[in-house]
Amino acid sequence: MNRASLHFLLAALIAIALPLFMRSGTLASEVLIFAMAAAACNLLLGYTGLLSFGQGIFFGLGSYAAGLTLLHTSLPLALALVLSAITGAVVATGVGWLSIRRQGVYFVMLTLAFSQFFYFLAYTFKDITGGDNGLLNIPRPAIGPFSLGDSWTYYGFVAVLFLLLFAALQRVASSTFGRTLLAVRDNEERARAIGFPVRDFKITAFAISGAVTGLAGALHALLIGVAPLSNIEYHMSESILIMTIIGGTGNLFASVLGAGFYVIVSDLLSSIWPRWLLLLGGLLIVVALFMQKGLWGLLERLVEALPMGRKSSTKSSIEAPIQPESQGRGI
Amino acid sequence: MSTQTPILAADKLSVRYGSFLALSDVTLSIKPNTIHSVIGPNGAGKTTLFHALTGRVRASSGRITLDGRDITHVSDDKRVPLGIARSFQVTSLFQNLNVRENLRLAAQGRTPLQALAPWRGVNPRDNALAVADEVMERLELTHVSDRAAGELSHGQQRRLEVGMAVAAKPRLILLDEPTSGMGIDDVEAMKALIRDLGRDHTVLFIEHNMSIVMNISDTVTVMRAGRVLVEGPPAVVRDDPEVRRAYLGNMITGDIA
Amino acid sequence: MIYLFQLVNGIGLGMLYFLLAVGLSIIFGLLHFVNFAHGAFYLLGAYFVYDMTERGLNFWAALLMAPFIVAGLAALTESVLLRRIYHLPHTFHILVTVGLALMVQELVIILWGPVGGNVSTPSALSGVLMLGDFIYPQYRLFVIGLTLVLAIGLWWLLEGTRLGAVVRAGSESTDMVSLLGIDILRVNTAVFALGAGLAGLAGALAAPIRGVEPFMGVEALGIAFVVVVIGGMGSYTGALIAGLLVGIVQSIMTTLWPEGARLMIYLGMGLVILTMPRGLLGRA
Repeated sequence: MNRASLHFLLAALIAIALPLFMRSGTLASEVLIFAMAAAACNLLLGYTGLLSFGQGIFFGLGSYAAGLTLLHTSLPLALALVLSAITGAVVATGVGWLSIRRQGVYFVMLTLAFSQFFYFLAYTFKDITGGDNGLLNIPRPAIGPFSLGDSWTYYGFVAVLFLLLFAALQRVASSTFGRTLLAVRDNEERARAIGFPVRDFKITAFAISGAVTGLAGALHALLIGVAPLSNIEYHMSESILIMTIIGGTGNLFASVLGAGFYVIVSDLLSSIWPRWLLLLGGLLIVVALFMQKGLWGLLERLVEALPMGRKSSTKSSIEAPIQPESQGRGI
Repeated sequence: MSTQTPILAADKLSVRYGSFLALSDVTLSIKPNTIHSVIGPNGAGKTTLFHALTGRVRASSGRITLDGRDITHVSDDKRVPLGIARSFQVTSLFQNLNVRENLRLAAQGRTPLQALAPWRGVNPRDNALAVADEVMERLELTHVSDRAAGELSHGQQRRLEVGMAVAAKPRLILLDEPTSGMGIDDVEAMKALIRDLGRDHTVLFIEHNMSIVMNISDTVTVMRAGRVLVEGPPAVVRDDPEVRRAYLGNMITGDIA
Repeated sequence: MIYLFQLVNGIGLGMLYFLLAVGLSIIFGLLHFVNFAHGAFYLLGAYFVYDMTERGLNFWAALLMAPFIVAGLAALTESVLLRRIYHLPHTFHILVTVGLALMVQELVIILWGPVGGNVSTPSALSGVLMLGDFIYPQYRLFVIGLTLVLAIGLWWLLEGTRLGAVVRAGSESTDMVSLLGIDILRVNTAVFALGAGLAGLAGALAAPIRGVEPFMGVEALGIAFVVVVIGGMGSYTGALIAGLLVGIVQSIMTTLWPEGARLMIYLGMGLVILTMPRGLLGRA
């Protein structure tokens, strides 16, 4: 079995296992929704070397697009989701096109500034977005013959979409396109010198990432019945990025781990102590100092420590496309 | 002067960095199927000339033509499909990717838009892969095909560096100091390689090793302070009094084959 | 008259933005380190003044002490934590400083509550200045005056002193600085403390004008980035011009379209990027 199929299998196992171990269908759905957003973020960070602080923009706009469609039109659910993916892709194309005019840390600052811009945009046009209150009472219509009213039924729907999108992102990552992204991340100058229009590749990566993130945002709005202002806030961008880095940027499945960890731990901690972000802040520092390959790297080390798993794990670490030493280059 | 149309020509090409004139009215014409070398002391503008010819640096004034077509304003990545490829003085590879993938990418760069389709996988019978294998064979890198470029020895990295240009199947290949930092054995192999490349490409290369320059070049251009000092066949250049005075002195040790 | 009022307001605001941005800029200039915790230092500066005045301390004493405490904390952070991660890629600089910012923000909520509060203007400056029809709060004039003096002092520090030379050389080559026989570790700490202290001062000065709340740090970070993007990273003059520009635009928009004032700043930034990718005075 190759690495991609193994990762897909692991993702499918998680989607199946969540209902067995979790009591809340809402929380389980949240895990998979953020797994999509983190994997989309990873396409930019891990594969293209672009550290985007703007993922919240696409997530939030996806929420609004789905909410507005379902509130003001009688279009079916599937179309609302497609519309939010398109919204995410279009806006991501624009944000990407502008942001990649600068490189390195300037790029990061630009994406952050854009996320503030869209936040204030949503905040200012209260008539459309509901401002501080968010867009309320978003319905969750049936899809074909299936009613999605029950939280576990909705989870099933999210899980199917998650697996489809995960496979699609894997396909993207292993395509000639994805492999060129890795080259861009490794040495952008050379990629241009051998003939690749690097800008077009980066913008396309943004568009794909934006589409997936927009769709995730839409699913989130449907999940809670609200498109809240917080979905487009700076903190949403920050959270998606944190999930991605905590998981590890070497492969897409790592993002599923990162999202699962973040969502479940934050749910646990926030019910115990409202100021749990203090601990999260500390955790980020620990990850940067001691766990640079994220949870995935930790898992690899664990598997390696088991005598049985040694063979398979060495293989996967060689195949892993990214070494952390090179991470600074692209962003 | 030959009546043959030059494959690449620069007409009064200048490059200015702020107030510094790195390249000043350089006129150069590269005849097809020749090996043409550029020599000159450090800071003579050789690499800047390469940057300008490949489009990495924008020309401040002047014109560049490829087969008579004006390409002065064509961006660097768009010059590759037109048939220009280069190697770098400072090795610039995809360090984390393996040798075969480095070359596959370089071959793919000839038709980059095909790679923009996010759903298209890499077909095992892919043309770019075939080119990569062929180049590995030619550069004797096949045995390290699966090693990451960053793990190769210096000599192997320099060969791969040249291979990246070869994989683009260019008509004109520009090599910026291909022997830089190489041991003696590797230098001989590189010399043979450049001569070999000259059989099916037009080669323009920058080199400090006079033995290579004088041995395998059809034409030598001597640069100094951003200008062309002298241009001609090796024998003529070697005997030019101004060149001797300005640059070569008694450094010419290579025998003319 | 309202526009004149808002123009002067904008200059005051802009000078605070300048302090914030120039702090970020010199830290980046020397250390090549994007400090996502910069807003947190601004937040701390404001809250220290708030806390000290709440405890009955004289405002002036608080204003004097707050930036130094912030700078001290920054120096501690730099020497204990940050210097261990300079060699890592940017991703991890961002991760660590984002983590720091989160921790500071949560600590502020734990110590002072989630609501925030007001800092009263010192009695000596609580009045207004009247020049014919033009009426203006004295405290805000004081802020403009003080920041102008500081701006000149900073300019002298960066252009006319040994430390300034090191900061400027450091952005070119750390090796060269080492060759000059300067203890680069201490310079790094000093510069980080200076940059953070400037952010703390901006927060302290802003506290009586805008009050304090735990999320003012994030907002300040966004503004500092905008100013640096517009002005050009590493440029003192760029930070000054862009800071004033952003302050004035925001201020005047407050009259024209209060809700869209912040929106306009970010829109302006987008326009600058479109037309001048390097910012007004950026080098590279």
